[in-house]
Amino acid sequence: MTQADPPVVCIACSIFQREIQHLIQVKAWDVPCRFLGSMLHLEPARLEERLEVSLEGAHREGRRIVLAYGDCCPRMEDLGGGEAVSRTQGINCCEILLGREAYRAMRKEGAFFLLPEWAVHWKRVFKDSLGLEGINARTFMQEMHTRLVYLDTGLVPVPQAELDEIAAYSGLPLEILPTSLDHLQASLKAAITRVSGHE
Amino acid sequence: MDDPQIEGIIRAIRLADRAGANRIVDAWAADSSYESAVLHLLTPALETFGELWANSGGESSLAQGYVASKIAEDILAKVLEERQRSHAEAPATKGPVVIGNVQDDYHPLGRRMITAFLRFSGWEVHDLGVDVSPREFLNKAEAVGARVIGASAMMYTTAKNIQALRDEIERRGLTGRVQLAVGGAVFKLRPELVEAYGGDGTAASALNAVVLFEDLWNRSLAFTAGTAHAERP
Repeated sequence: MTQADPPVVCIACSIFQREIQHLIQVKAWDVPCRFLGSMLHLEPARLEERLEVSLEGAHREGRRIVLAYGDCCPRMEDLGGGEAVSRTQGINCCEILLGREAYRAMRKEGAFFLLPEWAVHWKRVFKDSLGLEGINARTFMQEMHTRLVYLDTGLVPVPQAELDEIAAYSGLPLEILPTSLDHLQASLKAAITRVSGHE
Repeated sequence: MDDPQIEGIIRAIRLADRAGANRIVDAWAADSSYESAVLHLLTPALETFGELWANSGGESSLAQGYVASKIAEDILAKVLEERQRSHAEAPATKGPVVIGNVQDDYHPLGRRMITAFLRFSGWEVHDLGVDVSPREFLNKAEAVGARVIGASAMMYTTAKNIQALRDEIERRGLTGRVQLAVGGAVFKLRPELVEAYGGDGTAASALNAVVLFEDLWNRSLAFTAGTAHAERP
């Protein structure tokens, strides 16, 4: 990237915060990042508002933007396809971390994915937002899924207590899957290449 | 809505109390029949809940919608048992129709709710599950003689795959004969996408989908009748 190129900023979901900060720390990524809370995923309209504000702010600064998000709200394609914006490819954070083939294969098997931030806040997601309690939670989860898969990127201790709670709550077996940052890094790099024309 | 039993079922759904709703219907059926309970209690309760859901602006929870569909399944199973015990003749089935989540879509709840409500209403439903390719949709539709395909897509990314399904319908020369119902959260929030991606219609809720399928079925019949008339020498 030449000095004349507009600077790039990454607007990312906080679900990736530790992972992206690790990539910055090990010098595998050098784009400054601004994070929006991952719980906004539960309120798509509010997520859109927050993204619009963030994008407008970055545009006013004259920056090009990498949007580290999946297809998380109805207008994400419009937001991610705007001028000087490029979104990471992938339908959601799990596909961005796993890569398309592994994600599709496990989804077809009925995997329900958990990432560190959502595992810790599972009650807010399942009980408060989705309203699933007791027998309804177990029948719903067991009808829709075959197992829980926790994506362990190795940057925080596995939240075993919370994962055991989720397993008991859902009645599903738990798998802890070591997950590298290779696909995330590749996705971020591809996005920055698209938006800047440089790696 | 003045009927306390119907209100009781609606209240049970709002509390995600599947067992409670079943108890109300069971009590009615003890003095009458499950067939009668469907007509006088469950259908009006589910229709009212469907309207509340469609107009709730996101206030209704996933759990409520899920429980409503499970109650429909529970009562349908009891109706079928009742018919078998009494050797009653089953009413003529409607359809067949084919349902599935489009390619790359793995959000089954809405689709399963629609399947439950369609079967509850007497439709023969071939549910293909998630991540269904256009070829699989049309192969099944042609194999069983379905006039309506219901395609579900939760997000914008997967909704775009409905265009491929429309293209396959056209490629096989089935436009008009096979009607395409589309649904999913993205179409509620962006209704312009229904026509943009080649859908023939959508519904505000899983319960409204029953009316949609009736409408599309009739459109298909009218199309083929019109085509046959035009082809007459």
